[in-house]
Amino acid sequence: MLRLQEIALAEAKVPHLAGITLDFRPVQMTTLLGRTGAGKTTLLRVIAGMAMPDKGRITLDGTDWSRLPPWKRPVAMVTQQSINYPHLSVLDNVAFPLTRAGVSREAARAQAEAMLVRVGLGAMTGRHPVALSGGQQQRVAIARALVKRAPVLLMDEPFVNLDYKLREGLREELAELLRKEAGTVAIYASTDPREALQMGDAIVLMAEGRALQSGRPRQVFAAPATLAVAAVVNDPPINLLPAEVSGGQLRLVSLGNEPIPGPDLPAGRYTLGLRAEDVRTGGDLPARVVLTEVSGSETVTHLEAGSQSLVMLERAVKTHNLGSRFGLHLDLSRALIFDAQGLRLTPEPAHG
Amino acid sequence: MRTLYLALKYLAVTLWSAFVIFPFLWMLSTSFKTQNAVTGGATWLPWVQYEPSLAGWKALFGGAGGVNIVKPYVNSLVVTGSASVIALVLGTLAAYGLSRFTFRAGPIRNGDITFFFISQRIMPPIVLAIPFFLMLRWLGLLDSLPGLILVYVAALMPIAVWVMVDFFNTIPRALDEMAWMDGCTPVTTFCRVILPNVLPGLVVAGMFCLIFGWNDFFFAFTLTFTQAQLLPVSIVALNSSVTPWWSLSAAAIVSVAPLAVLAFVVERFLSRGGLAGAVR
Amino acid sequence: MYRQKYIFLLPGLLVLIAVILFPLIFTIRVSFSSWDVYNPGLNNAGGAMYARMWEDSRYWEALWRLSLLAVSTVLMQYVLGFGLALLVWREIAARRFFRVLFLVPMMTTPVVMSVIWRTIFHESLGPLNPILDALGIGAQPWLSQPGFAFAAVMIVEIWQWTPFMFLLLLAGLLSLPSEPFLAARVDGAGPIRTFLSVTFPMMGAISVGAILIRAIEASKIMETVYVLTSGGPGTSTETVSYYIYIRGMRDFQIGYSAALSLTYLIIMAVALTLIAKALVRLMVRGAQA
Repeated sequence: MLRLQEIALAEAKVPHLAGITLDFRPVQMTTLLGRTGAGKTTLLRVIAGMAMPDKGRITLDGTDWSRLPPWKRPVAMVTQQSINYPHLSVLDNVAFPLTRAGVSREAARAQAEAMLVRVGLGAMTGRHPVALSGGQQQRVAIARALVKRAPVLLMDEPFVNLDYKLREGLREELAELLRKEAGTVAIYASTDPREALQMGDAIVLMAEGRALQSGRPRQVFAAPATLAVAAVVNDPPINLLPAEVSGGQLRLVSLGNEPIPGPDLPAGRYTLGLRAEDVRTGGDLPARVVLTEVSGSETVTHLEAGSQSLVMLERAVKTHNLGSRFGLHLDLSRALIFDAQGLRLTPEPAHG
Repeated sequence: MRTLYLALKYLAVTLWSAFVIFPFLWMLSTSFKTQNAVTGGATWLPWVQYEPSLAGWKALFGGAGGVNIVKPYVNSLVVTGSASVIALVLGTLAAYGLSRFTFRAGPIRNGDITFFFISQRIMPPIVLAIPFFLMLRWLGLLDSLPGLILVYVAALMPIAVWVMVDFFNTIPRALDEMAWMDGCTPVTTFCRVILPNVLPGLVVAGMFCLIFGWNDFFFAFTLTFTQAQLLPVSIVALNSSVTPWWSLSAAAIVSVAPLAVLAFVVERFLSRGGLAGAVR
Repeated sequence: MYRQKYIFLLPGLLVLIAVILFPLIFTIRVSFSSWDVYNPGLNNAGGAMYARMWEDSRYWEALWRLSLLAVSTVLMQYVLGFGLALLVWREIAARRFFRVLFLVPMMTTPVVMSVIWRTIFHESLGPLNPILDALGIGAQPWLSQPGFAFAAVMIVEIWQWTPFMFLLLLAGLLSLPSEPFLAARVDGAGPIRTFLSVTFPMMGAISVGAILIRAIEASKIMETVYVLTSGGPGTSTETVSYYIYIRGMRDFQIGYSAALSLTYLIIMAVALTLIAKALVRLMVRGAQA
């Protein structure tokens, strides 16, 4: 188990990591999900030893890593920009970490060859990295990271610079390869919630240098602990509706609604989080279409109802003319309720 | 109009080529002359204008009116070669350190240290000549090859640092970090990963070290007397009132010939764009 | 963490400090002594050497002469080097041959070539005067008249070091992107307009670098003078380095030559810094405006 305790790192007094405590278990892929600048890359670099934290401890199965330089830590890393050794052939690139670890030249080459076959580059072993396409170069980098069988494998948005088809293919290959590597702590940084849901056995939400919530992807998605988590895990973004409760009545402030019977909550201000898929056509809330886009078999439409902007997700290809108006139905029974501090309230959603 | 432009272009190239070649042709011709051919006035063509002789070339190995240049030649080779290698090693190491790591000493930062290295080229040799003289005398290294090598290492290292810092800066740091993660310490990273990728830079820096080392005169002149005399010094020593022009020319030819060959190497780098990193 | 980083920097830095910095500090100390043949060793002479320097018109004349020599030769090297680089940049037959040929002089040993140039300039036996005679210009007193001796030093410096300027500028030209030139051709610009509005502005930074490197080297001129004219006739071609050499290594006035050296070093460092700033303003920012 890779354990991080109170990891903090600031640069020029700007905090990049603000006290992160996390456990990463082997035999599963953990996805670090967060927007650009959330501190994911910094956290991975701290684990690899490339950046030294100001405070905190890193241990792997009880061994303290805090004072170890990168070359003494058993980690492998794949970065956004595929980095390979320009002066070595593809085969020698992949064999390099093995020979550094003391494996004989022949054995290293044999293992490297086998790994290259597994990532589908068996025919390219004699070439130099510059002679490969971007996707192939990234696969060489992945092969070099996997061949060491390091107990900790770090991946920092490894597929972000590749085109869509290649990305899908490599993701599958990687998941397949990892399934065969028992006992590896694999950490995968991503900005894409869907990728996180698809890849990870566990998920850690990051924002502004903090780990906000961790758990199983479905569970984090269904029950985000805070507004910030809800904002990160939902794509398209979750609708946030300011609300007031008084005397068992709930009023949506920005929509100027008549009070409706609300949940049994103390009087005060709340925020309702309503997923885009819980906004539907065919209701009586008047709204105007601002922007609409079709992605695959889904349609995402941005609307305005008074001063409140809303996002609607339909699982079908629809055409909405810009500026057209229709009535919306908000399924408030599925809304998440957050208090004034942004914490989600339990028990489960409101019944309006 | 276009024809005139081309004609002027080729005329200019021809004129400059003539200017460049002129001294070489003159010394080649003179090296086959004798006292009589020289004092008879300027002539160019052997057999036609004068009777060629190998006297000047024979005098390179000692004898009347000449100077034995074998020992100075070997001295020059030893000093230039070893000083260039040492300066290249020290300069490349320092340049890599400065391009990759942060050094701090009080208000001094990496940029200041780099400037300290490179600014040594501003130092006129005469400023250091006298302290060098006293220092080498104190060390007992005056008129010795090790003493000269020490001085030349210091004189050539700034060139190596200047060229190599730029080359290292073109290599992404991510490559070093990848090597660390593959189990290389900074030293093995440097040797096994970075050096193979800056070979063109090493060739350029090495060439500049050789050129400036081989061609230096002043330190060799002020810090040696007889034992450790270098080639340029022994040739200039021929430059007296009654100069034996023939042996002087022959010595000059053997002295400048090896480096003139380097022009081909430099041109290869130039035409392949390998010097782009060295400019700026 | 990276304690190994010192393995890289320290060896070179320590050698340089030991070999350059300590002698320099020693020189500062010596310049406040009157160390010479009669009183060898360090004593305390206060600023006497600097006061003597202030009155020494031969030193200031040498400084002025050096400035004139350095500025004029570097400018001519720049103009000629740029011209040659443009000539063999492209569109010329056998350009690689000419590139090699134009580089050769910078590979040759300056003092050795100066010895050869001295025979070329020889008034009665050298080959230059017969050629000038044939061209109808007539023989000239190359090394025996002050003005001609100065010109002879300039010719040798230009022959020797124009190739270095040529090398840096040609490397710069070859690294230029090709798009602006295509655009200029599409606009129907001729060679002169293309040069003035495309090539020259893009070469601003490279030109400044090349001129500075040469200016630094030119501020040290002495070997050519030593071999070609020995500073003569009289003191008419004496540069600062050569004058300090005479005072220090020939007359053995160690203290005085130390004072002269340090003043020379400081003046040159300041002058080169000012020139660098002026050139950047003129050729880099000016070209971008």
